[in-house]
Amino acid sequence: MDKAAATHLTGFTLNNAPVQVEARVGERLSQALRDRLGAKDVKIGCNAGDCGACTVLVDGAPVCACLMPVQQAAGRSVETLAGLAKADPDALRLKESFQHHQAAQCGICTPGMMVSAVALLRAVPEPDVAQVQDALGGVLCRCTGYRKIIDAVVGAHAADTLQESTQELGAPARRFDGLAKVEGRDLFGDDVAPDGALVVRVIRSPYPHARFTFGDLGSFEARPDVVAVLTATDVKGLNAFGVIPGFIDQPVFAVDTVLFRGEAVACVVGEADAMLAFDPADFPVIWEPLDALMTVPEALQGGAPLVHADRPGNIMCGGFVACGDADAALAGADVVVDGFYETSFVEHAYIEPEAGWAEVVDGRLHVQACTQATGMDRETLAQVLGMDRADIRILPTAVGGGFGSKIDVSVQPFLALAALKTGKPVRMCYTRVESMQSTTKRHPARIDIRVGAKADGTLTGLTFHGDFNTGSYASWGPTVANRVPVHASGPYFIRNYRAQSRAVHTHCPPSGAFRGFGVPQSAIAQETAFDVLADKLGMDPLEFRLKNALHDGQPTVCGQVFEQGVGIQACLEALKPAYDQAKQACATFNAENADVKRGVGIAGGWYGCGNTSLPNPSTIKAGLRADGTLVLHQGAMDIGQGSNTVIVQIFARAFGVPVADITVLGADTDITPDAGKTSASRQTFVSGNAARLAGQALRAQVLQQANASDTAEITLNGGHLHVVDADLAHAVDLSRLEADAEGYVLKAVETYDPPIAPLDENGQGIPYAQFGYAAHLCVAEIDLKLGRITPVSFTAAHDVGRAINPLLVEGQVQGGIAQGLGMALMEEFIPGRTENLHDYLIPTIGDVPPIETLILEIEDAHGPYGAKGLGEHVLIPTAPAIFNAVYDATKVRLMHAPATPARVRAALKEAGYV
Amino acid sequence: MNLFDYLRPASVSDAIAAWQPGAAYLGGGTNLVDLMKTGALQPGKVIDIARLPGLDRIESLPDGGTRIGALVKNSVLAGDPDFAAAFPMIAEALASGASGQLRNAATLGGNLMQRTRCVYFQDPHSACNRRESGNGCGALGGDTQNHAVLGWNDACIATNPSDLCVPLAALDAVVETQGPNGRRDIAFADFHRLPGDTPERETALEPGELILAVRLSSNAAASYQNSRYLKLRERTSFAFALVSAAAALQLKDGRITEARLAIGGVAAKPWRVPAAEALMLGQPPDTDLFRRAAAVALEDATPSGNNGYKIDLARRIAARSLALAAAGTPTRMPALPASVFGESAHV
Ligand SMILES: Cc1cc2nc3c(=O)[nH]c(=O)nc-3n(C[C@H](O)[C@H](O)[C@H](O)COP(=O)(O)OP(=O)(O)OC[C@H]3O[C@@H](n4cnc5c(N)ncnc54)[C@H](O)[C@@H]3O)c2cc1C
Ligand code: SF4
Ligand code: FES
Ligand code: FES
Repeated sequence: MDKAAATHLTGFTLNNAPVQVEARVGERLSQALRDRLGAKDVKIGCNAGDCGACTVLVDGAPVCACLMPVQQAAGRSVETLAGLAKADPDALRLKESFQHHQAAQCGICTPGMMVSAVALLRAVPEPDVAQVQDALGGVLCRCTGYRKIIDAVVGAHAADTLQESTQELGAPARRFDGLAKVEGRDLFGDDVAPDGALVVRVIRSPYPHARFTFGDLGSFEARPDVVAVLTATDVKGLNAFGVIPGFIDQPVFAVDTVLFRGEAVACVVGEADAMLAFDPADFPVIWEPLDALMTVPEALQGGAPLVHADRPGNIMCGGFVACGDADAALAGADVVVDGFYETSFVEHAYIEPEAGWAEVVDGRLHVQACTQATGMDRETLAQVLGMDRADIRILPTAVGGGFGSKIDVSVQPFLALAALKTGKPVRMCYTRVESMQSTTKRHPARIDIRVGAKADGTLTGLTFHGDFNTGSYASWGPTVANRVPVHASGPYFIRNYRAQSRAVHTHCPPSGAFRGFGVPQSAIAQETAFDVLADKLGMDPLEFRLKNALHDGQPTVCGQVFEQGVGIQACLEALKPAYDQAKQACATFNAENADVKRGVGIAGGWYGCGNTSLPNPSTIKAGLRADGTLVLHQGAMDIGQGSNTVIVQIFARAFGVPVADITVLGADTDITPDAGKTSASRQTFVSGNAARLAGQALRAQVLQQANASDTAEITLNGGHLHVVDADLAHAVDLSRLEADAEGYVLKAVETYDPPIAPLDENGQGIPYAQFGYAAHLCVAEIDLKLGRITPVSFTAAHDVGRAINPLLVEGQVQGGIAQGLGMALMEEFIPGRTENLHDYLIPTIGDVPPIETLILEIEDAHGPYGAKGLGEHVLIPTAPAIFNAVYDATKVRLMHAPATPARVRAALKEAGYV
Repeated sequence: MNLFDYLRPASVSDAIAAWQPGAAYLGGGTNLVDLMKTGALQPGKVIDIARLPGLDRIESLPDGGTRIGALVKNSVLAGDPDFAAAFPMIAEALASGASGQLRNAATLGGNLMQRTRCVYFQDPHSACNRRESGNGCGALGGDTQNHAVLGWNDACIATNPSDLCVPLAALDAVVETQGPNGRRDIAFADFHRLPGDTPERETALEPGELILAVRLSSNAAASYQNSRYLKLRERTSFAFALVSAAAALQLKDGRITEARLAIGGVAAKPWRVPAAEALMLGQPPDTDLFRRAAAVALEDATPSGNNGYKIDLARRIAARSLALAAAGTPTRMPALPASVFGESAHV
């Protein structure tokens, strides 16, 4: 049988213009639109109908372009965001409203959201919340928590009345990179490769643990559809990557043995159409499956085989913090609560799968991909390729969500090796299944906790032991192991404390960085144990927390004393009005309902910003050109959280001009200095400080030119720089200054590295220069008969030191809560079982209830203009707040996340509910 | 995807004539295209029936019944005001399934024919008797959260995932088909098959047989005032049912004169037990009665793995759907169709 795919000529109208494509039989409409017609505004998140990113209108009805064969579009009208955004009246309103409400964060879901919303608005010009939830229910967003998207669509009809805020520091300014996102012009990892680039496909292990041998690679490589094959022998440098010195252990291509399902053993490179038709089962590899350790208890059992021969007991590393005498304190406590908690693998599930392209330009390697860490990507590639880092340029694309996993490399080494071997431009985009199988996950945790208090409610001691399933390779496992013991006390004053963590190897995918580095897991145990303790003491949970909240001047469990800036008490107090009201409302509801009950839960949280006791610098550069152009080299990766906006707002304030006067460049390792990775809630704090320093330094140089004082005002007007000091205006003629090689007549390059000190063997020291603080309140409803929990509302109090941009703060909070909700109630990655977005469920627009954000500003001496980091704090209290709400409603303790109906029913049954 | 032929026949008879072993009919593609990508299905020829004339209508029949063409989109059917008024629980089931985008593409025939969501079926690396008879069942002894508690055997423990099919079963729909051997009617109860000895045969369709329409009788519409579809899922919307139930009652003078109950997510077909329905006849509607009926409906249930909890849940969903049906069909479609939670919990 001839299996060569036939092609069909298909004609339809695309955004009102007639088009024709010669596409393979059965080719997805989405692919024909993107690859044959250049419609990169149609995004691909899953190719399975699960995410809705590919939504287009066909004869006016929104459909998933990824499930429609292009031949079915014949003769129809197809509309996409890029077309609609030009002239469709509803799309124009949505554009305005989406920006105003910050309904686009990373922007990868935005085309799907907006196209679906256009169809809704055409039918219902002023929809209510429920109608929006229904119409947009098929589009997933991992960043925003959906509420701002709902606001934007509900409010779209009034778009022309929206007032744009100023852009200065502290104002709820629209994102500066927002317009491209709402017009479908933002380019992500899979949107930038040149036409005709070769495609790279990865051959992966179908087994969690196996030995393998290759068959005849030579004749395989000689196949007409194959341009090149890559295996470990093509790796000229070190066949290993990783992120923590001493733990660089993950091979680019496995040699002889694979340690997780989805591990790469080879790549095949070929022309795009050939690689689409290519069946990986044809690749000559012979597998010999071996027994696999899939859980921590299996891996810790005496005699268990070692995942890595040099890591005895399968223990990769651990962390430890102790102060006082925890055992004695618990022995002497009036009330003690203990418990064993379990959490599951959580998948980042950003809507943009890993993607990018590479080419060799004048002997230098260019790699453009979605990433959270351009500098680290370059280091890794230099090491893997055995190349000088100066010969490697990393150019990020817009990033369609990262949440930690895009700090590690994924496609980059494959692209680099393929570009070098073929000498041609090469591209690749992970399938959703590949992305889920092979990239890092949140660590599943097994936690034993004991907490004791005096009868008056004073916490006396806490012990904590956490084993974290770190999977097959190190990734950020050591960071999780270090961070957890420092944070497992929560933001409370505890004199006697001992916390230990271990990162345990298994044959699971590597666990790595995911918003919170292990702290969301430990917070579930600690914050829910607190409620049981408060209950036993007969105390109100909020009062109990207020009584024990850490204050300025009190040592943390690491012995670190903050003289200022501790904001947990303020967060808890801010919840008080909502708490009292919610308690009342729940009592009324419960009096009227038998099978469903409502409860109120509170949880606190804290998070140290930046690396734990390790150097963590960021550098920002800025310069003035002779023509008066003020340029900011901004290398902090914006993965949706808003660095492209916040860093500019800070710099503008420091230099003393409006944002509009600044030209922003970057990120690009050739032109922006290293601003470090976008992780650990560090960009606003660390890169923000570097931007502040750079702005101040450049300002000082300008003022010096004019001999003006510190309080002088700088204006940049059409290339003319004026300094007004005490009512005296000086024109500064920049053209008389000499320009450097980059064309700058004045330039500042400033680095900020937070002041920290190493931890001793008891974890005592200065792990972070600042913490951010948070407390969440959740009202949740539980169906006692069916075991289903649904959050009804959240109130989130966040101490951010100083809200550089309150709109972005709310965006982080709402998005974080959605992820916390998912972790609490539905998300469970099981290798081989939930490797797509219909078996692995993330919250939809219907799952996230209204969220009220209370922004508190307890300024921090180290933060830029007092600001503290925020990105990870936002989800730490969420899951325990939900569980505490269930406890409030039922007195049933949920100790296994996610609390699916099966688990909740089991817990209810055990507690005596029928 | 090793597809090498694509046809768009002009008529039903052309479509059937074009069929050959290894060919597949293409409706909206939402299930077929996905399974072709994973490799679970590898048709050599796709026969696109989406534009066959005459199959996209909702018709009233002279005998008071309703006939729905196989190509009527799920969204069109759910949104048709007359249809939704007569068969509110079908509309609710449809509206609770998949997403707006998918319902705009998915057809009635495709929905009836959608394959199981068993992950081992979808993964060509796993053993599966449904993909290939005699291959073994990868799910047995594996993760069985979504698998059957009724009607399964060691050959296959998969469930039918369709929401739509649950009320269709409850209402005794009839499936009209045409195949190489002509036209026939298939009673809904016979349409989906339990695994038995031939787990690879999911439906009663013969090779090449095409669904033309689904018919509902006038009696099926008679319970319009007291019917409800309820669906338990792990997230609020856009998720398949863990378990679900369609309940329809006719009441006269405070007594039940007709009771229909079908349960979804528990077996390879929507589950109906005549004894459970008979037990309610002549009785006044009452939660205790509904609990007993649900218990009878689930009497034969046994876990096929770590899914015993579903039995309890199915019983409760069934009893609750009956109670809600007795309380009266909501005057308008709930904002979150088929939800177990009240309206106020969601916005
Ligand atoms: C992400 C996602 C979520 C979903 N969630 C739900 C859900 O919650 N509830 C639910 O019930 N469903 C759900 N579905 C399934 C969805 O309802 C089905 O995919 C859809 O109904 C199939 O219809 P279709 O027309 O697209 O079928 P196709 O994909 O075109 O065809 C499906 C099968 O039916 C055959 N077929 C099609 N038409 C005919 C005919 N007339 N005669 C004979 N054979 C025919 C095809 O050959 C194929 O084997 C979901 C699907 C996806 C992708
Ligand atoms: S349960 Fe059925 S569909 Fe699933 S693997 Fe077993 S035989 Fe295949
Ligand atoms: S890409 Fe089409 S639904 Fe995800
Ligand atoms: S903004 Fe929705 S996925 Fe990022």
